Amino acid sequence: MLFFNYLNSSLRSLVRQKTYLLINLLGLSMGIAAYLVIVMYVTYEKSFDNHIEQGNNIFRVVEVQNEPGVGNQHVAITMGPLARELKNTFPSVKETLRVMPAYQIASVEYNNKLLRETNMMYADPSIFNMFSIKISLGNPNKLLEEPRSLVISEDVAIKYFGSAEKALNSMLLLNNMPYRIEAIMENQTKHSHIYFDILISMSSIEGTPEFEWMDHWGSNSLVTYLLLDNKDQAKEIEKALPQFIKDKIFSQNEGWEFLEMYLQPLDDIYLKSKHIKFQMVYAAGDARTVSIFMVISALILLIACVNYINISLARSVKQAREVGMRKVLGADRMSLVYRFISESLVITLIAILLAVGMLELILPEINSMLGTSFVLDFRKPLFNIGLLLLLVIISLVSGSYPAFYLSRYQPISVLKGGIKSSVKSSYLSKSLVVFQFAISIGLIFSILMINDQIRYIQKKDLGITYSNSLFLFFGQNDFKKLDVLKQSLLENPAIRSVSGSSFINGVSGSQGPIFINDTANTKLTVRYGFVDEDFFKTMNIELIEGRNFDPTIHRDSAGVVILNQSAVKKLGWSDINGKKLSATADGDSTMQPDVIGVIRDYHYYSLRSVIEPAAYFYVPEMFRGVTIKYSAQESRANIEKFIESKWKELFPKTPYQSVFADQYISDTYKSDLKIRNLFVYFAILSMFLSCLGLYGLTSLLIEQKTKTIGIKRALGSSVSSIVFDLVKEYLVLVGLAGLIAIPLSIMFIQRFLDDYSYRVEISFYNIVVAILMAVTIAFITVVFKAGKTANSNPLEALKYE
Amino acid sequence: MNTTMLKTVNLTKIFRTDEVETTALHNVSFQIQSGEFVAIMGPSGCGKSTLLNIIGLLDNPSGGDYYFMGQEVSKFTEKMRANIRKKNIGFVFQNFNLIDELNVYENIELPLIYLGMSSSERKKRVEATLEQMQIMHRRKHFPLQLSGGQQQRVAVARAVVANPHLILADEPTGNLDSAHGEEVMNLLAQLNQSGTTIIMVTHSQHDAEYSQRIVRLFDGQIVNENIRFGKPEISVLDS
Ligand SMILES: Nc1ncnc2c1ncn2[C@@H]1O[C@H](COP(=O)(O)OP(=O)(O)O)[C@@H](O)[C@H]1O
Ligand SMILES: [Mg+2]
Repeated sequence: MLFFNYLNSSLRSLVRQKTYLLINLLGLSMGIAAYLVIVMYVTYEKSFDNHIEQGNNIFRVVEVQNEPGVGNQHVAITMGPLARELKNTFPSVKETLRVMPAYQIASVEYNNKLLRETNMMYADPSIFNMFSIKISLGNPNKLLEEPRSLVISEDVAIKYFGSAEKALNSMLLLNNMPYRIEAIMENQTKHSHIYFDILISMSSIEGTPEFEWMDHWGSNSLVTYLLLDNKDQAKEIEKALPQFIKDKIFSQNEGWEFLEMYLQPLDDIYLKSKHIKFQMVYAAGDARTVSIFMVISALILLIACVNYINISLARSVKQAREVGMRKVLGADRMSLVYRFISESLVITLIAILLAVGMLELILPEINSMLGTSFVLDFRKPLFNIGLLLLLVIISLVSGSYPAFYLSRYQPISVLKGGIKSSVKSSYLSKSLVVFQFAISIGLIFSILMINDQIRYIQKKDLGITYSNSLFLFFGQNDFKKLDVLKQSLLENPAIRSVSGSSFINGVSGSQGPIFINDTANTKLTVRYGFVDEDFFKTMNIELIEGRNFDPTIHRDSAGVVILNQSAVKKLGWSDINGKKLSATADGDSTMQPDVIGVIRDYHYYSLRSVIEPAAYFYVPEMFRGVTIKYSAQESRANIEKFIESKWKELFPKTPYQSVFADQYISDTYKSDLKIRNLFVYFAILSMFLSCLGLYGLTSLLIEQKTKTIGIKRALGSSVSSIVFDLVKEYLVLVGLAGLIAIPLSIMFIQRFLDDYSYRVEISFYNIVVAILMAVTIAFITVVFKAGKTANSNPLEALKYE
Repeated sequence: MNTTMLKTVNLTKIFRTDEVETTALHNVSFQIQSGEFVAIMGPSGCGKSTLLNIIGLLDNPSGGDYYFMGQEVSKFTEKMRANIRKKNIGFVFQNFNLIDELNVYENIELPLIYLGMSSSERKKRVEATLEQMQIMHRRKHFPLQLSGGQQQRVAVARAVVANPHLILADEPTGNLDSAHGEEVMNLLAQLNQSGTTIIMVTHSQHDAEYSQRIVRLFDGQIVNENIRFGKPEISVLDS
C-alpha cells in the first residue's frame, strides 16, 4: 500500500518534470542498448567452438622454435608423425587428429562445374568424432579412411550435384583426379576457429612421393589436435614432452637445435593465439579487444547511471521537502529508501524496454558492421535472467545513492525552507561529471590515436606498391603457359606488367632454412619467395645491390637467389660478392646458388609483424599464379572482364580466381578498422550521454538559481557575464577530467600500439584536440541552456520563487 | 481535566556550524496543560521555531529536560521520536508543506498510512475529515491547483486526521491574506474547543488573541508569560 502511495507520488513527480524523465530514460536506454550489444558481441566472441562437444578435453599442439634470423616463435603447425607418436607414448591421449588445408587443389570439377574451393582440408578420420560433425547422408562409419575419399557439406553437394542424394557416392574431380564422396555432412558453423566444407582423406596424400615429408620430423605443415581422457592430463603430458622431443625428434637428426611443445586448450584457440604463427585457422579473435570492450560497455552503463544519480541529486533539493514532510508525519528511513529505489526500478524497467526496442531497430545495422547475426532471443531463459539482473543492478546503482542520501535528512533540516543545497552533494555531482568527461576524453583521444595509426599504415612506404594490382591463381602445370599468358595479357595497353610469383606479396607463406656455402655452413631461416624477373619491377620493389633474375641466363632457374636486406644484415655481410648458398630451395646440394642481388626490405605482411629475412628463387614450378599491374585509368571491371576472357581461353580447366591487392591489404587491417569504428560509436555515445547529464544538471542548477539570475539581471548584469559564471565552473571540471583521462588513455593506447612493429608516437596534438573537443561540446551544452535562462525577462525569474 | 501535556526544564539549543555557534534557546522552562491554546510570540530569529520543533519532537535539545506526556524524551532517537510524533502530534506550517505530487485526499491520508491503519478505516477517517474541513469537493485536486488558504485548510486537515492530542502550528497564517487567515484561526479554535491542545507560533497579535496564553520569547529566553481570559467568538466562514 505504502508502495503504491510512493509509486504514485514518484511517477507523478516524474511526469511533472518531463525533461528529467526524458533525459533519464534516453540516457539509460541508450546506455543499456550499447551494453547489450557489447554483451552479445563478447558472448559471441567467447562462444567460438562451443559446438565441439568434447572441446574441454581437446588440445592443439603448439611448437616453440628458435630459428636463426627469426628468433623465438610459436607455431601451430607440426610434423606428420607427431600425432601417431604422441598417441603411442601417452596413454591418456585418447584420439588424435591432423588437418591441413588443401591449398594445392586448384580445381574442383563435376560435369561443367569448375571452381576453386577455399575451404578444403585433408583430415584424419577422427575429425568426425573430435569436432562433433554430424553426417546427414551416408554411412557414418569408417569415413575418410580410403585414399581419395571425400566428405562434403550439404551446400557443396547441392552446388555441384543439385542434391545430397545425387552427390552421395559420386565422383568429384580434384586437380583432375577422381575422388569418391563417401558421405554428406551437415553444413559447418563459421562460429569456430576452423571451417571446412570439403574434407579429403589424409591417406590420399600420406605415403605419396610428393608428401614424403609427412613421414619425417623435419618439416611442419599439419595441425595436430589431441583428445585427452581428461583435460587435467595435459599438464602431465606437457611435463613429459621435453623427454619425448629428445627421444623421438632430436634423435632423428632432422636439424632441430631447439624445440619445445605445449598443449593449447581448444577453448583458447580463437581468442588467445595472437602470439602464434602459421595458424591455419579460419577466424582469429583477440582476448584483449574483448576485455577492452567489456570495460567500455561497463563504463557506458556507468555513465548512464551517473546521469541518473546526478539528476536525482540535483532534484533532491526539491524532493527534500517531500522527504522531510513524510518524516514529520512518521515515515521511517527504510520506507523512504524504498520510495526512491522503486522510482529507479520503474524508470529502469521502462529504459530496458526502450533499449530492447532500440536494439530491434539497430541490430541489422550492427550485424552488417560486425559481420554477425545477433538476435534478441527472449526464449532463452539466460537472456531474460540477464535483463532482470540488469534491471536490479541498474536500479540499485542509480537509485541507492539518491535514496540513502535523501532519506538521511532529519525532518527538521528539510523544513527550514529546503536543504541548504548540501556542499557534499555538489562535490559528488562534480566528481561524477569529471568521471563522465574523463571517459569521453579518453575515448576521443584513443580514437584519434587509432586513426593516426591507421593512416600511418595506409601512408607508410611499405617498400612495395600494392595499388592497381591483382593476383590470379594457377592450376596445376599452368606455369608452363606463363609466357603465353604474359603476351596475350600485355596486348591490352591497360595491363602494365605481368609476373609469375608465389603470391601478390612475393612470398609463399612458408618458412624454411637456407644454408650458406661457408665453412660453418651457416643456417638462416627465411621466408621463401618464388618470383620471375618481372615481379620486383611490377610491384616497385627496389633492387639495391647486384642484379635481377634473367631468364636468358640458363643458370638463373633455381641456380641463383636474391635476398632481402634483413637476410643480408642477419648474415652480417657487407656485400654479396662471391656469396653462395650450399643448396637450392628444394635441398638439391649438387648446385650452389649464387647470391645475385639484394632487394630493399618491404612489408610482405602487415605492419604488425617485423620483416623477416627472405630469399627469392626463380623456380617457375613454384609460382602459385601471376601478379598483374594495371593502369589506374582503366576501370577495374573492364580489366577483370578482359583478363577473365583471356584466362578462360588459355586455361579452360583452371577456375578463374582473383585477389585484388587493396582487398588483401584491407583484410589485413580489417580488425583495426572494426575496432576504430566501434570506438567512434562508443565515444559519440559516451559524449552524448555526458552532455545529456550536463544539460540536465545545468537546467536544475539554473532552476535553483533562477532567483539569483533574476536579481542579477534586474541589477543590470549582462547576459553574457551571467552565462559565463555558470559555464566556467563546468569548464574547469571538464579540464580536470582531461588531466585524469590522458595519462590513463596513454597507457591504454601504448598497449594497443605495442601490437604493431611499426607505429606512431603518442601525439601531444591529439591530447589537446581531445580535451578541446570535450570542452567545446560541454561549453555549447551549458551555454545553450544557460543562455536561454539568462536571456529571459528578469521579472519572470523573480516571480517564480 | 487538568493533566500536564508537556513540560520543559532549562531547555537549551545551540546550533554549531563551522564558523559560528548560535544559542537559539537558553534555559527555557515552561509547562502546558492538556486542552490549552498557547501562542508563542517574539521577534524574528528569537528561537520560536526552534522551540516548536523541539516540542514537536522534530529535534532534540542540546541541554535541559523535556517531558512529553510524562515521559522524558530529550535524548530520544529520531526513530523513537517519530513513533511518538505520529501518534500524538499534528503539524501545520507557514508554507503548508503539502506534497505536490499527491492530491488532497492522498495528502490527508498519509499520516494514517504511516500509522499502519487499514484502508477501510483510513477511508472513513479521511472522508470524515474532508467533511469536517468542508473540502470534500476538492479531494481530487492537487496542491498547486489550490489557493494558499485552501492549501492551509488541507494542511490542517492532514494535521488532525489522526486525532492527535497536540497540534503545533508555526505561523499558520503567515502566508495568507487576512480573510483566509481568519478561516484557519477559526479552524484551530474549533479544534481547541473540542479538546485538542494547540501551540501556535505567530507574529500577529490578532491571531494571538485566539489563544488563552501567550509566551513571549526574546533571544532564546522567555521574557514573559501572560495568561489571557476570554476568547473571541468563533465565527464559521465558508471558503
Ligand atoms: N539549523 C540551524 N543551524 C544554525 N542556526 C540555526 C538553525 N536553525 C536556526 N538557527 C538559528 O537559531 C536562531 C533561532 O532561529 P528560529 O528558531 O528559526 O527563529 P524564529 O523562528 O524565531 O524566527 C536564529 O538565529 C537562527 O539563525
Ligand atoms: Mg520561525
